[in-house]
Parts: sequence; C-alpha cells; structure tokens
Amino acid sequence: MGWPTIAHLVNHPGLEMKAFLAPLILLLAAGCASEVVRNPAVLSPAGGGAARPQLEIAQDTDVQASAGYNRVLPAGSRWQLVGTIPEGGVYRRANGVFTVEGAHVHEAYLVVAGDRLVGFYLPVEKAYSPATPVSLKVR
Amino acid sequence: MRRLSWLLVLLLAACASGPKFNTVESTFAASPAGKARIFFYRATSLGGAIQPEIVLNGKVVGKAQPQGVFFVDVDPGNMEVVTGSEVEKKLTFQVAPGDRRYVRAAVGFGVIVWRVYPELVDEAEAKKEIADLAYTGGGPQKQ
Repeated sequence: MGWPTIAHLVNHPGLEMKAFLAPLILLLAAGCASEVVRNPAVLSPAGGGAARPQLEIAQDTDVQASAGYNRVLPAGSRWQLVGTIPEGGVYRRANGVFTVEGAHVHEAYLVVAGDRLVGFYLPVEKAYSPATPVSLKVR
Repeated sequence: MRRLSWLLVLLLAACASGPKFNTVESTFAASPAGKARIFFYRATSLGGAIQPEIVLNGKVVGKAQPQGVFFVDVDPGNMEVVTGSEVEKKLTFQVAPGDRRYVRAAVGFGVIVWRVYPELVDEAEAKKEIADLAYTGGGPQKQ
C-alpha cells in the first residue's frame, strides 16, 4: 500500500473537503494576529527626577513590539515626559500620534530607561507592554 | 467596455455623497468647551460595497462610507473604536479637552471579503486626506 501521495489525498473522496479546508484554515490563522502582551502598570506623574523632560528622535528607529508588528520612530518625532513606571520614563508623542498593533491597535507612549527604549505604555489599558530593547539616538 | 461601464457605475454608487469637506469646514462651530472632536473618514473607494458601522465606546456614530468624512464631539477620556467588519480590530486612544483626533477607516483584503478597520492618523496627514472627501455628517453649524 505504501504512504499516500498528495494525489491520493486530494483525490480521496473523504479528504477532498479537508484538502480545501487546510489552506483556508492556514489563511485564517495567518490573519489572526496575537494580542499585544501587556501587564498592568501604574503611571506616576512626571516629577523633577532624572528622566529628560523631552526627547527628539535623531534618526528613524525600528522597534519591535511584543505582538511582532514593527513600528518606526521617525526622525524628528518629539516626545514629552508624562510620568514614570518602574520600567522607565514614559513619553507621549508631542507632534503626532503613535500606536502599537497586535490583534488590536492601541495608542502607545514610549518607555525609556537610560538611552534605551524598553517598551510601551498603553494609556487606555493602563498597561506596560515590553519591546525588544533598542538604543535611541536622541537630540 | 459595457462591463467596465457597469463596474464604474457600481463604484461611484458606493461612494459617499455630500459637499466637499473643505468647502463646508469653515461653517462648523468649534467643539464645545471641555469637549474633544474626533473625525472619522474613509479615503478610498476600495471595497466600496462593504460599509460597516463605526462604533465609538459602544455607540454607533456613523458609517464608513467610501470617500466620506464626519465628526463627533465627545467628553475627554478613553475611546474605543470598532468597525463591524469581517475581522474585528479595535482601536483605543485617549482624548483630552480641546483635542482633535482623526480616525481613518482603512481597507485591507481579508480572507473572504474586504475588511475595514480603524487607524489613528496624524493631523497633518489626515487634513490632506479629508479635504476633498464628502462631508456626510450633521455636525454643529455656526450660528
């Protein structure tokens, strides 16, 4: 008898539907992005701490959010310190909008520790979402 | 040729009707004190047959009509926008008093049909996109 070939599988009366459904299921699965990973976070208002009150990104910087969708922090984008969370200073875009995306799209602020972006703060969800850390060149 | 004509008719029939936004914008009253204004628009005719409702914080505020724009004034706070589409993709953002925010109903090709989903857009980019769109809302007029 041996192993069934692709032709066997496709032509087998009982498997025709499965052969049709399999690619469809793959397509559906590919279309379903995962949720942005997030943990509850409490934002403390910006005080006179060590964090810089404003950042300006000096060159386009790719960032990788937890759900796998890339974002670019454009050169010239300005970010205003709005508070801190344990992971770092939280900066809101001052001259535009910024979102991260997974299964859904969320307005997001940058979380910066030292000169590194470490994640995002989601103001509506009041949550921290880690990112692949990346060094920021700022002015 | 005849088929192309029919296709063109179908596409045009699907587009929003109304005055060009940039011809009526100056007639709109400013948003009331303490409120924020959110613009919703759809800049493309792609997938024109799919015109889902736009739901803001659980309330239907309009439809994603191709090449149409409208706005609503809201109290400040958290916003959640959903478009009834093949795949539901939520957009969340915050507004403060006096804010003007712009939400584009973007169109992508889904598994079976076009899908329409909300995106938050920079003001400068949005202003360019909505200038020539049809105003479909009944926003507050200047007295």
